[in-house]
Amino acid sequence: MNRADTFQIEADQQAAKLPDLLVSAENLASTVLSGVHGRRRAGQGDDFWQYRPQTAGDLLRDIDWRRSARGDQTYIRQRELQLAQSVGIWVDSSATLRYASQKSLPTKAQRSRVLGLAAGIVMLRSGERVGLAHKSLPPRRSPLQRQALAEALALDVDSEFDVPDIKVLPAYSRVIFLSDFLAPIDILQTTVCDAANKGIKGVLVQVLDPAEEDFPFRGRTIFQSVFGSMKHETQKASDLRDRYLDRLAQRRDALSQLARRVGWHFGQHRTDNSALSALLWMYQAIEGHKR
Amino acid sequence: MTVLGFVGFTSPGLLLALIGLPVLWILLRAVPPAPVRRLFPGVALMRGLTDKTQETDKTPWWLLLLRMIAIVALIVAMSGPVLNPEQATKTNTSKPLLIVMDASWASAPDWSRRIAAVETKLMDAGRQARPAAILLMSDPQPVSFVPADRLKQGLVGLVPASWGPQLDRIRDMVPTVDFDTVWFSDGLEWAGRVEALDYLKSRGAVQIIQSMQQAVGLLPVQTDNGALVISGLRSSPGSQQKFDTVIHGTDPAGNAVVFETVPLMFGADALKSEGRIVLPAELRGRITRVDIRNVKSAGAVTLTGDTLRLREIALIGGSGNREGLELLTPLHYLEKALGPEAQLLFSPLTESLLANPDAVILADVAVLTPAEREGLERWVEAGGTLVRFAGPRLAASNVSREVEDSLMPVRLRVGGRTVGGAMSWGSPKSMADFPKDSPFAGLQIPQDMRVSSQVMAQPDPNLAERVIAQLSDGTPLVTRKPLGEGQVVLFHITANAEWSTLPLSGLFAQMLERLAVSGQSSQQKQQALAGTTWQVRQSLDGFGRLQDAGQLAGVPGEALLGDPSGPMLPPGIYDTDQLSFVKNVLDHDSMISPAVWPVGTNVQMLVERSERPLSGYFLAVTLVVLACDIVATLALGGRLITATFAVLIMVQPSGVLRAQDYATIASEVRLAHVLTGDPRIDTIARQGLSGLSETLFFRTSIEPGEPVGVDLERDELAFFPILYWPISPGQPIPSDTAYAALNVYLRSGGLILFDTRDADVARFGGGSANGRKLRELAAPLDIPALEPVPTDHVLTRAFYLLQDFPGRYRSRDVWVEAAPADAELSEDMPFRNLNDNVTPVVIGGNDWASAWALDSNGMPIYPIGQGFSGERQREIALRFGVNLLMHVLTGNYKSDQVHVPALLDRLGQ
Repeated sequence: MNRADTFQIEADQQAAKLPDLLVSAENLASTVLSGVHGRRRAGQGDDFWQYRPQTAGDLLRDIDWRRSARGDQTYIRQRELQLAQSVGIWVDSSATLRYASQKSLPTKAQRSRVLGLAAGIVMLRSGERVGLAHKSLPPRRSPLQRQALAEALALDVDSEFDVPDIKVLPAYSRVIFLSDFLAPIDILQTTVCDAANKGIKGVLVQVLDPAEEDFPFRGRTIFQSVFGSMKHETQKASDLRDRYLDRLAQRRDALSQLARRVGWHFGQHRTDNSALSALLWMYQAIEGHKR
Repeated sequence: MTVLGFVGFTSPGLLLALIGLPVLWILLRAVPPAPVRRLFPGVALMRGLTDKTQETDKTPWWLLLLRMIAIVALIVAMSGPVLNPEQATKTNTSKPLLIVMDASWASAPDWSRRIAAVETKLMDAGRQARPAAILLMSDPQPVSFVPADRLKQGLVGLVPASWGPQLDRIRDMVPTVDFDTVWFSDGLEWAGRVEALDYLKSRGAVQIIQSMQQAVGLLPVQTDNGALVISGLRSSPGSQQKFDTVIHGTDPAGNAVVFETVPLMFGADALKSEGRIVLPAELRGRITRVDIRNVKSAGAVTLTGDTLRLREIALIGGSGNREGLELLTPLHYLEKALGPEAQLLFSPLTESLLANPDAVILADVAVLTPAEREGLERWVEAGGTLVRFAGPRLAASNVSREVEDSLMPVRLRVGGRTVGGAMSWGSPKSMADFPKDSPFAGLQIPQDMRVSSQVMAQPDPNLAERVIAQLSDGTPLVTRKPLGEGQVVLFHITANAEWSTLPLSGLFAQMLERLAVSGQSSQQKQQALAGTTWQVRQSLDGFGRLQDAGQLAGVPGEALLGDPSGPMLPPGIYDTDQLSFVKNVLDHDSMISPAVWPVGTNVQMLVERSERPLSGYFLAVTLVVLACDIVATLALGGRLITATFAVLIMVQPSGVLRAQDYATIASEVRLAHVLTGDPRIDTIARQGLSGLSETLFFRTSIEPGEPVGVDLERDELAFFPILYWPISPGQPIPSDTAYAALNVYLRSGGLILFDTRDADVARFGGGSANGRKLRELAAPLDIPALEPVPTDHVLTRAFYLLQDFPGRYRSRDVWVEAAPADAELSEDMPFRNLNDNVTPVVIGGNDWASAWALDSNGMPIYPIGQGFSGERQREIALRFGVNLLMHVLTGNYKSDQVHVPALLDRLGQ
């Protein structure tokens, strides 16, 4: 079984836990004023909308004979108009995510890929066009897209940092960025602003390991990045803790300010928490944009 | 060996290595602990952060100190330190070494020290390659010299004897070669000591080692005016000393108890001291031994045997309802004469006989009821002494007139006679001297003793041989005849002063004494022991413990009294036919005196200062310190995960009882199970009881707390209505104290549910491993006769109506206390009126705990049977548990016939 398959299975499992987007969209429609996804008018779509007496100009093949046989009048079967959204997913595939502080935890890369793919599957199921924020896989609506997503997400990039590519995304689409966002924030800032200029809305999900949030280290330590290009030596790691946590808080602050400025959502996820909660949060955040 | 104070070193050169320590200090200081390398993506955020302090760059001083200590300890350990080094013997001789030990009871208190000293001597001899031999003089055996090291293994087997050394036999025991001697003396003067010393001196150097403590001993307990006199001896006068003597005995059930403690004060210069105590006669009769507290020596023990038992004498007066003066009642004089040395019973005759007295005295009792007569005859024939006194009633009655009464020694003439009164002639008669074969022989007859009235014996052919005292005119005064094992004695006068002055004289008491003395519990005299053979039943060892004596040859009675103790005649308890005799280490007239050695003898005191190599301790210190160093280094380097400590902290297993829990336990009903030591079985038992507790909580008004595991050795059982005891072949047998507690528990209404847990493979009593173990475990328990649960037992209807009692298995073999034999089924009752109590045990093998066990969600843990029938079986098992608890807590409540109509209704009859 190759890695793509593994991811797909995992992602399928996560996606299976969510109700189908459309089903929940129907539920939501009953409580929220405007429809979420169905456009509440006849048009192209899969779901039955209404029977309408046949009028001039209707094609003969649109007549629903079964319904019409019950009375004297002939009826046209109309379906609900459905519009699809383009969603671009970006999962940071750089080396820095390939880290887990304990054997029992997944690496950040694994977790963010599963989350990304699960979100993609959910969107695909509800009929969205889903792709990567990368030129290799533009958003598309096809039965094969799920497999293609899985394969594309399984690729590693051997660099310290990775950057999303938003050029392939159409305007007014949605994006999901999954990363630890520990890289210098400038590049990300430019990307997000560019995207916002194109009318793209999205969510930023910061996936962190518990060790990165708690900094449980003591004593004389040499810290080393996963790719190996960065090193930091300290004599007393416990002294470093508070200042490190300060910096982490600053980074988060910057990220959430950035998101707020462009009307995006910023979320956090720890790899020792359940993936489902993060998926739900992402789903809701995306839904919020559609509303 | 270099010696510094108390410590010597075998290789002191190694200590020079300590000079190198300062260098090591500097070297160690320079090397900081190595850093840990960690992957950490967060490093991207750490750019520019610098350390505030640079302290841990060098090894911290305390870690250095720790390492220094380790190294110092290692160096010291290698240099071979020895505590209290023995200075090498001055002359390096290769002569064999003979170790002589008196090994009597007097050396028992510090025996272990002596053995330690012997061991040191042997080690010394071993170093010098001298052969050695050990000679115990209390049981001398010929010895030969062997390498000293070989003797060391046998040292633990050497024990002191409870008799003195036989020093005169030393010549026959030693080899002919020359040797040096070390003599471990008791410090007491024993016969032949000086000669033995001279002999040993003729063969080589002699060193005497004796204890600084003086010997103490107890003389046999005596009685004086109703008090017990405990006297002790010590070997040499000195300062004031106080010892506590402890009186041991048995309780009515035969268990050993301590009655009393009597202090024994030795004055400043006294060699002997006495303690007195008055004990109730009942306790006195049960005293077994007296010993000195904290002195473990046979000399400090004196066995009492039967000697302290008070004679019980039943006094029966004639129907004395005449309102006489106290001085006129015949019993008054008897009471005074028998005095405090006997226990007097005044109950009616039939009741007194139940107490099996040593003698019965009938004062002017003429007529006995057939029941009394029969009982009295049986008692006399079994060895009792019946003493009768005449009087007006006997004289007036027809008892033993025509035919000799079985309870009278002679036939009596009508009326009797009176001499020297106002209406009669003659003068009151005095007594003639006692015949030689009379039991009174040798007693002095007071001159002023007169007899004025008496009953007269018919001159029968056997009269002469029955007379044991007569008047000066030859008329019988006291007659006696044997009857079976016992005897019947008749005083032909009254027991008061009406007919004679005898009761007023001291002779009266002496005569009674003689008669009672020749009864059953008399003290044996040397003549009485003549011709008998005695077998030792239990012997005292040197430490004063009674032991089974094993198979020793019988001892003639004379030797028992006369000869000194020895290997063939150990102190202890001797038996012959019916009698037992106690031989003590010290006799009434024993003395103990300290040994005085001739001037110039090399005498040393036994001191406890033995050589002790210390290398091991120093190495242990090194290891411990190094282990600390590992932990400390890890902690410094940040490698030590605090979580490991959490794992190391042992979690106290739940369900085990702590003393402070008793208050909480006593506040609610709790089920308890016996901890078997097998964790699996204990877990099942706990789960089972917890499941049953849940069930009880939901279904009944019993709301038990969490079940408790009970350790029989430590825990108080009184709080638990029921003990569940799963049997496993491997569990340990409880100690005697635990069994005592269990028996108290059973007697006070507790119930033990024994579960052999093997009903699937074994039938009750079928001899499975668990069954055998159960028999072994339950043997010392006070368990009544058992029977399988009868169909009308209260267990079948205490809460639910049940007919069988399944657990995980459904064997019908469940046993409870048997119903009384006279329980009968009456016409209108569906069940018998059975035991009034809770059955103390329920025994079965159905593995109830497994059936009861529920997990935390209330789901059964262990499978039972299959499908619905299995669940039904589990339900019945739970119902059995409910019934059992109801039975324990309410007793025979449901046996009460009040409930019969309701129960009949339910039963559909």
